[in-house]
Amino acid sequence: MNMQNQILQVESLTKTYGKGQNKTEALKGITFDVWEGEFLGIMGASGSGKTTLLNCIATMLKPTSGKIILRGQDISGFHGRKLADYRGNEIGYLFQEFELLDNLTARENIALPLCLHGVTAGKAKADIETLADLLDIADVLDKFPSQMSGGQKQRVAAARALISDPDIVLADEPTGALDSKNSKTLMNKLSAINGEQNKTIMMVTHDANAASYCSRILFIQDGCIFHELRRNRQTESIEAFYDRIVVVMAQLGGGSANVL
Amino acid sequence: MFFKQVRRNAAKNRKGNGLFFGSLVIAIVAFYTLLSLGAQDVMRYLATVESDAVGKLMGLLPVVYAVSLFFVFFLVYFACKYQADSRRREFGLYLMLGMKRNRLFSMLFFETLWSSGVSLLIGLPVALFLTEGISLTTAKMAGLGIIGHHFSLSYDAILWTVCGFVLVQLLSMLIICMRLGKTETAEFFGSGDVKRQASISGAKSTACFVAGVGLLLTAYYLGMFRLGALQMEVMLALIVCGILGTFLLYRGLGGFLGLYIRRKSPDTAGLWNFTARQVQENVISQHKSLAVSSLLLLMALACISYGISMGIGRSASSRSLDFSVFGAEEQIDAVLEKDGVRQMVKDSYPLYLSVVGDGYFRDEEKAFDTAKLEEALRTVEGSENIIENLHIEYVIAESSYNRILKNMGKEELKLADDETAIYTSIANDGDFGTILTKAIRQKTSVGIDDVQYRVRPALCMDNVVADRAITLYMALIVPDELFARLAREPGAYCRNVNLSDEAVDEMGLMQAVQKVDAQLAAAGIEYDSYLSGIGRNLFYTVAASYLTIYLGILFWLIANTVIGLKYLISQRQTKHRYETLTMLGADMPSICRSVRKQIGIYFVLVLASALVSSFAAIFTMFTSFTKLPVGVSVSTVIILSAAALFVFCAVEVLYIGIVKRAASREVSQIEITRRR
Repeated sequence: MNMQNQILQVESLTKTYGKGQNKTEALKGITFDVWEGEFLGIMGASGSGKTTLLNCIATMLKPTSGKIILRGQDISGFHGRKLADYRGNEIGYLFQEFELLDNLTARENIALPLCLHGVTAGKAKADIETLADLLDIADVLDKFPSQMSGGQKQRVAAARALISDPDIVLADEPTGALDSKNSKTLMNKLSAINGEQNKTIMMVTHDANAASYCSRILFIQDGCIFHELRRNRQTESIEAFYDRIVVVMAQLGGGSANVL
Repeated sequence: MFFKQVRRNAAKNRKGNGLFFGSLVIAIVAFYTLLSLGAQDVMRYLATVESDAVGKLMGLLPVVYAVSLFFVFFLVYFACKYQADSRRREFGLYLMLGMKRNRLFSMLFFETLWSSGVSLLIGLPVALFLTEGISLTTAKMAGLGIIGHHFSLSYDAILWTVCGFVLVQLLSMLIICMRLGKTETAEFFGSGDVKRQASISGAKSTACFVAGVGLLLTAYYLGMFRLGALQMEVMLALIVCGILGTFLLYRGLGGFLGLYIRRKSPDTAGLWNFTARQVQENVISQHKSLAVSSLLLLMALACISYGISMGIGRSASSRSLDFSVFGAEEQIDAVLEKDGVRQMVKDSYPLYLSVVGDGYFRDEEKAFDTAKLEEALRTVEGSENIIENLHIEYVIAESSYNRILKNMGKEELKLADDETAIYTSIANDGDFGTILTKAIRQKTSVGIDDVQYRVRPALCMDNVVADRAITLYMALIVPDELFARLAREPGAYCRNVNLSDEAVDEMGLMQAVQKVDAQLAAAGIEYDSYLSGIGRNLFYTVAASYLTIYLGILFWLIANTVIGLKYLISQRQTKHRYETLTMLGADMPSICRSVRKQIGIYFVLVLASALVSSFAAIFTMFTSFTKLPVGVSVSTVIILSAAALFVFCAVEVLYIGIVKRAASREVSQIEITRRR
């Protein structure tokens, strides 16, 4: 992790749904930075605003106010071609339900973001195969999603999120639809990619197990950043970090007085 | 509250889904058009002169009605299914809020009834307008000129249209409700069943594809080269090969496309791969619908071209005279000179037609020496039967025939002293006219009294008497002096009467003829009229053209609707894919382009097979069992067929455009909802 380079800056971000009396503030002026090569977790209870935050960064939602700056560019004003390029090249998105196109083979699914930006699948062959080896999905490359297990599907989806070498990978509950074994495999792979390739990952999760692979965790409550945990990878084991996360989660349930 | 909701839902369905509503209106128009046949001007007239034939046709209508009911059912079923699929979430919500399934289904039934009512209110006037148009066009096509047109409103037709339509709607809804009844509530919130793409065994699908192509080629071969005598077993083999071939072709097409995609995909960029896989998936999961639609389109093309050619063929036999009156000269004159009749008559003249005198018969049947003619016939293929039966017993005076030609505005014969012309009224009977024409073009002759008379190298075939039921197998048109010598009865056979063009234009041919008809009948004179003569002929025109064109258009509409709706249903079920594409960075214009391309390819896949098969079918039809009448030139038929094909393609392009717009609209809404 390079603490010198901020890859993403979120400044005073607000998001309000509805109007007048029906107004609901999902994000109440959140500010934080993401550093290059960081594995950032976002945790919080349902309705805390964590998915809204991720969706704003992924341009699936337009923020009400505030700035989201990725490598010096404010993305909240992106439209049309620029928006499509941003989605295809600069972020990789990992969905909870995989969202693989079930009429495309794994290889075709992985190549899709590149194809959308004018690169042929042939040219991307070597990259696809490297990623497939890394994620252990080489033997399912020519299969359709209906012929794969849930874990394989999510790893194919991860390969798709990584193929265009994005600046940041956004993951929305990536282990939400997986059993514990497959969750562990996926998190090991993501962690390895983060560590070996210095790839920045921002992950929203409920799962303390999954979160324990992160290097930093932001806890969100009622649309505000509520707490932050950092892990020193060299000195703290995943298990130890997990214990700390669980403690914070327990305290979160009891209100802010217990934590701060 | 309940009925208010029913009304609102029905209105929302209509507004939100033009394709659904359009299909319902089409169904109504289809029913009424068929059922009101009996009330049309031409049929009403025909019923007075050819009641038997019309009765038979009317007896046939319930069968055609049942067939239409069957096909329209599919049209309505797919339209309703498309509608119901798009409301799955809403149904799920009703159930989750505590609505009983029975109540949900009764709500759907009432909505259906309400929609039926509104569709009928719009569809019936459209149908009425259309049938009036058809009534006028058919009368014109049948060569009747402008006839006294009456506004025809058939209450029976309306009743049966309403019954048929409501029945088909309710039945469709019943089946849909039964399916919904078996659906788990949670499933309502999904996007419906999507047949997952499995990898299809390449060998199996290639085998199907090759077998399909093989069977289709066999069917084409059987039709074009082996169906000459219309044998039942060949016909059966052809139908089985054709149907099975089409089904196997589409069964194997998906795998075939898969192989193509796999080979091509490394070199492609953009949404090519996605577009191709979408098409392949639709082909695999809907290969049966595609085959049925393709066969329906083939039937549509065959029916429409058959209907048009029958229409031209029959109407081509032009009107040569209006009455043939038998009886004493004075009696006929008395009627024709009557006030009111005299002004309507353009020309009246005696027709000299007689059996040849006994002395000229060479044996029991054959008069004259036809050896040279037989010799010429022998050089023409397929003439064996004609040579065997060749006999000429009648002679017609040249002046009488010239008068007929003059009245028709044609050039007169002007026979030389040593010349004769061959006449037949059955030129359109199979190949008879064609073969005979080929033979007499070879400068042949006929011997009369040991003198060879040159045969004019053109066949005469304009009717010499008003009644078409009187047929002359073969007669010689000879100069008047020769007629006087040859005829057994040299006096006039009958008096031919032509009505004036002004009278026909003013009153319409049908009314003009009926007026003179009444006068002749009142005088007790024996006569035949052109209209009663062509009654049967006209009947065939109406029956054959109308019914086949009707069925053709119906098949066409249904095939298009099935393809269009099937595609839109599958697109709706796979809507999430477009959301994913947007998230992966595909821009909306390229997604819409992909959708339009998918629809284009999807339709072309169905149309291509139907068009190729229809060329073979039409070729078979005109070479095997439907002969073009001699008077109709091939170029006319080709021009008309080309025009019909152009209209067909234009309508297809228009329809595909509508489906493309509907699909693009739906896809482009995805971004808006995701980026609220």
